[in-house]
Amino acid sequence: MTTAVALLGRRAVRETFRMPEATIPTLFIPLFFLAVNIGQVSKTFPSSTPWLHGQGYVAFQTPVSLLFAVCTATSGLALVTEIDNGYFDKLLVAPVRRSSIIFGRLAADVVRGIGTATLVLVVALAFGARVKAGVPGAVAIVGLSALWGAAYAGFAILVALYTRNVQATNASFILFFPLLFLTPNFVPFDRLTGLMEALARANPVSYVIEGLRSLVLQGWVLDKLAICLGVIVATGLVLTWLSVRAIEGYDR
Amino acid sequence: MTSTVPEHEIGRSVVTEPVRDDGPPGAVKARGLVKTFKGGVEAVRGIDLSVRAGEVFGFLGPNGAGKTTTVRMLCTLLPPTAGTALVAGLDVLARPAEVRKRIGVALQEIGLDPVQTGRELIELQCGLYGIVGEDARRRAQELLDLVGLTDAADRRTKTYSGGMKRRLDLASALVHSPEVLFLDEPTTGLDPASRLTVWDEVRRINALGTSVFLTTQYLEEADQLCDRVAIIDAGRIVAEGTPEALKAEMGHDVVTVALDGADAGATAAAIGALPGLERVVPEPEALALYVEDGPSSIAEIVRRLDQARISVGAISVSRPSLDDVFLSATGRRLEGADSAESPPESGGDSA
Repeated sequence: MTTAVALLGRRAVRETFRMPEATIPTLFIPLFFLAVNIGQVSKTFPSSTPWLHGQGYVAFQTPVSLLFAVCTATSGLALVTEIDNGYFDKLLVAPVRRSSIIFGRLAADVVRGIGTATLVLVVALAFGARVKAGVPGAVAIVGLSALWGAAYAGFAILVALYTRNVQATNASFILFFPLLFLTPNFVPFDRLTGLMEALARANPVSYVIEGLRSLVLQGWVLDKLAICLGVIVATGLVLTWLSVRAIEGYDR
Repeated sequence: MTSTVPEHEIGRSVVTEPVRDDGPPGAVKARGLVKTFKGGVEAVRGIDLSVRAGEVFGFLGPNGAGKTTTVRMLCTLLPPTAGTALVAGLDVLARPAEVRKRIGVALQEIGLDPVQTGRELIELQCGLYGIVGEDARRRAQELLDLVGLTDAADRRTKTYSGGMKRRLDLASALVHSPEVLFLDEPTTGLDPASRLTVWDEVRRINALGTSVFLTTQYLEEADQLCDRVAIIDAGRIVAEGTPEALKAEMGHDVVTVALDGADAGATAAAIGALPGLERVVPEPEALALYVEDGPSSIAEIVRRLDQARISVGAISVSRPSLDDVFLSATGRRLEGADSAESPPESGGDSA
């Protein structure tokens, strides 16, 4: 199985490099939001704002843009395209575990996530953000972001396998908007209204943002990082398990 | 009779070589294979098949007859709703992983990854079958040479023509030298030259000992390539045997009388009990007369029509074709025919 995952993962990574048009648009929105939010809000929240820990608003916004960049429906779209063009059948009829197809895609998501997260972080640094946790912290930010991207990719893969429809899989990305915005994305939890705070605290994505944000603003805050990693692992396990279950049961 | 379907339901069933239940498993052996999709669409309605090791077996039928659904069941891609199937001696339901190691599959939809080159695709396919490193590179080169794609090997497959894609798909099905090769309509959509190239490949693969299960809607393809054929219509096998034997069963000659506006019933009645006439099959705007000796019957047919003052169009004589076999079994021509019911060729199981 390891060989099959490596082979299929390498193929998916190669696909990413050969189809930059599939990745570049996913970078546009997070970078656009980063620029617009900073432009509109940085005067309202100067670096003297207590929860910015002496940094500009760009540092507070960077984790949101990172999640925006790595959460895509790319793997789901690639899978549904292969279902459509018949290559998926070719893979299903090969003597490998069907789950290898999923894990191969997720491996490519990690690679793609590392690339896009690095780029967004570099842009954020160019806008003046600094990573309090230093270079190891920056590496952790990129790694955690990429892992979250792969964990969340299972959702679009699930939609692809159940609907076998390109439009539906593409539309699955829309679900991430409420997940991303019902979080402390603009201000901390305690600055939100009661209802919004309750919703944000119930939203697991909030804790991924909080973990990444702690690395940027505060340094190594282990409890926040542990919760962040826990949410990423739990989301990844659940969505990947559901995806594997879906592919194992495909047409059976 | 191979089919489990009562004869009155399918017209005149033609089976020249009955399948024995106690024979060796061979390349493919299916019994009572049924596939009913969600919504109750019966794509395959209880078919029996027996493909001998080393033969090219043709599965002939119109669009929607159940060919692809049958292939998908035999390739472990779809579970049968009922019945059993052995491929390379292995039960497709009980041992699907082992079946997959022994079969090669080129489905109707050419399954290629457009972003990879031909060479990358074959090498990946090798890897999925456990052939890696230098062995994979060597095998890929062999297969690219075999299908004449060496020059295009390092181009992405999206730049290939339809014929090149089909040949690459065929090569990718051969990486592990399968015992049984399933080809689902391998020449549909190809130009005549590419079609001949694929035929040559199939012959060459078969000559190396691979059993070939080939579905087609082209009569000539079945006639040219196949040692034996089964004809499927609306999910049921209506005829099975060698092309020669099936055609011989039809009688010696077919005299086609173009009605040119004449009444079919009156024309048939006028011809009456022609000496050597085996049966009369009405067709759109024509009557097909199956007679022992076509050329010598024409004069008598003309005399009788003249006596009855019935004016018809051209009268022609031909040898029986597989289309005549299909016509005899189903009451309509295969060429240009689509099955009345066109079940989905994939989808969820209703079972």
